[in-house]
Amino acid sequence: MDLYEYQARELLEEQDIPTPGAIFAQNSHEVAEAADKIGYPCVIKAQVKIGHRGQAGGVKIAHNRDEAILESEAILPMTIHGHKVSGVLVAEAKNILHEYYVSISVDRTSRDFDVLATANGGTEVEEIAKEHPESVKRLHIEALGDFDLEAATKMAESIGFYHADVDQAAQILLKMWRCFKENDATLVEINPLAKIGDPDDESTKQLCALDAKISLDDNAAFRHGGWTRFVDPIVPDPFEQKAREHGLHYVHLRGEVGVIGNGAGLVMSSLDAVSGAGEEQGTGIKPANFLDIGGGASAAVMAGSLEIVLSDPQVESVFINVYGGITSCVEVANGILEAVKTLGSSKPIVVRFDGNAAAEGLHILAEANNPIIHVSQTMEGAAQKAAQLAAEAVGSKEVR
Amino acid sequence: MLFIEDGAPVIVQGMTGHQGMTHTARMLRAGTNIVGGVNPRKAGATVTFPGAKGEKDADIPVFATCSEARNATGAKASVVFVPPRFAKDAVVEAVEAGIELVVVITEGIPVADSAYFVELALQKGVRIIGPNCPGLITLGDPGVNLGIIPDGIVGRGPLGLVSKSGTLTYQLMGELSDIGFTACLGAGGDPIVGTTLLEALEAFEADPNTKAVMMIGEIGGFAEQEAAAWAKEHMTKPVVAYIAGFTAPEGKQMGHAGAIVSGGKGTAQDKKNALEAAGIPVGKTPGQAAQLMRDVLDKANIA
Repeated sequence: MDLYEYQARELLEEQDIPTPGAIFAQNSHEVAEAADKIGYPCVIKAQVKIGHRGQAGGVKIAHNRDEAILESEAILPMTIHGHKVSGVLVAEAKNILHEYYVSISVDRTSRDFDVLATANGGTEVEEIAKEHPESVKRLHIEALGDFDLEAATKMAESIGFYHADVDQAAQILLKMWRCFKENDATLVEINPLAKIGDPDDESTKQLCALDAKISLDDNAAFRHGGWTRFVDPIVPDPFEQKAREHGLHYVHLRGEVGVIGNGAGLVMSSLDAVSGAGEEQGTGIKPANFLDIGGGASAAVMAGSLEIVLSDPQVESVFINVYGGITSCVEVANGILEAVKTLGSSKPIVVRFDGNAAAEGLHILAEANNPIIHVSQTMEGAAQKAAQLAAEAVGSKEVR
Repeated sequence: MLFIEDGAPVIVQGMTGHQGMTHTARMLRAGTNIVGGVNPRKAGATVTFPGAKGEKDADIPVFATCSEARNATGAKASVVFVPPRFAKDAVVEAVEAGIELVVVITEGIPVADSAYFVELALQKGVRIIGPNCPGLITLGDPGVNLGIIPDGIVGRGPLGLVSKSGTLTYQLMGELSDIGFTACLGAGGDPIVGTTLLEALEAFEADPNTKAVMMIGEIGGFAEQEAAAWAKEHMTKPVVAYIAGFTAPEGKQMGHAGAIVSGGKGTAQDKKNALEAAGIPVGKTPGQAAQLMRDVLDKANIA
């Protein structure tokens, strides 16, 4: 789960990492109140879980109350790179002397944790690594090991912090590690970690986390009360919401063929097969969703899944692809018939079974003799058929 | 020996749970030499699996700890069905008890826990397979079935198979069932796993009976690219690949914890490009990947 900046800040503050004063606001009235409290000039920052929001006009400076209201009224209704803005963070504007980048993340390759830092902060780290690869310093924290003050100090020195900054940077790195570990994060990134203050007054200078990105491990939610404090205030996609209530892995896409299968890999493969068929047939037909019914699904789970997929108005046909391992194709077949009966839908369903009780499952479907249910021997054939039926349905709608 | 010797004694951690019971019965019927279960709350009990050993019942003793089970039975491998909350302790216990191969089926283990037990296992020279995987099947006489891979799809033959996905493993096993396999290994769909695609290729390369390898990848991370780079340098046997997730949108987790394209990285297209650059053909569908494998075998005069 990715956090919004205002949520990530909370976790940094809990570790005593210095951050500028800031208040989260969701309407211009709240913004005005927040800005008065923070003082001027202040920064109005769109809260979205996607990068490059500044370039999209999602970050503005306000010098007075009227500007704060005006800017927030422009930002709040925005959708940035497909993500709806959930609110704004009204933050103290700081005088930035230098920008650093620091992050800790899970390293899938070395199977441990990766501390990444550079004195060329401010932009996305991928861009920094491209332009100044020599400036990016990296350190691995072994999964059985720990990150101590000595290692943090060495890291801070290698990045290029000077004098008194070294100690403060080392402390911040250590606190980031604590934040990472205690919250089961998969990413804690501060960018920029800025040196702020009056250039002519040494005593005012300090390091401060001006922006942060934190991702949490969904698998660790059981250790953190289900992360209820970070529940997204934006109502997610209604189909994704419904699938979540059923405990199903569902991702809403934009095509015409509903896809249901067992096992994440097989469902992804089915999506690719539908797209491939749409391309080959020259119709541009695409999958409407990803839905994994998991291992050992019952007839009820199958029926519930079909109900969600068929309730999506963009769906013109459904492709059900099951390789029975633990899952019995008999259960799946019964679930399909049950759902078709209750829903009374007339949209065509193409079924491909293999593995555990496949012949018995296909027999049940054949007995039912329902004209909307089609059967195919191979997954490629089934994808072709489902794409073709969806294209026909789209075509006949256009004629009408 | 490829991953495990035929007839090796095996224990099951979490045997007395629903999943554990179902699959222990299955593994026994597949001929796996299961010698014990581990559950501290049911230690001393015996669980009977009716008709699971040939025609006879299998009576499997339950031990309090892995080391007790190992001392009593000489177990060399363990299959873990323990729920996510307790999985880390269970795997650490198996590794520290001197079990040589630990197959972790459990889905939903926090990545920090997996990182911990994987590193511990690497230090102690123990192989972990998984987590979040269907397990391992070897096709010997009778072979070993560790996990949830259905028995009876395939027989023995010259192919090795490694996969990030369970049902795609079965799919490709089914497509190539007439050719047969030495072993099929589910590497798992989590960001951190005990045996990577690369490490599975190493094992298949070292095994004299494996003549070619089918590798199944999916979006997320760089395991396919790393396997491709290694194969290009070190692999003498042909590899054919299949990658799932070309249509997966950016930033969305596709079922598996590790199956996510983030910041434009980990796409199926990148993986396909890297594999093809290493001379590994990539099928567009599982069926086409199977056909590519047949072509490769014909060309190399295998099977």
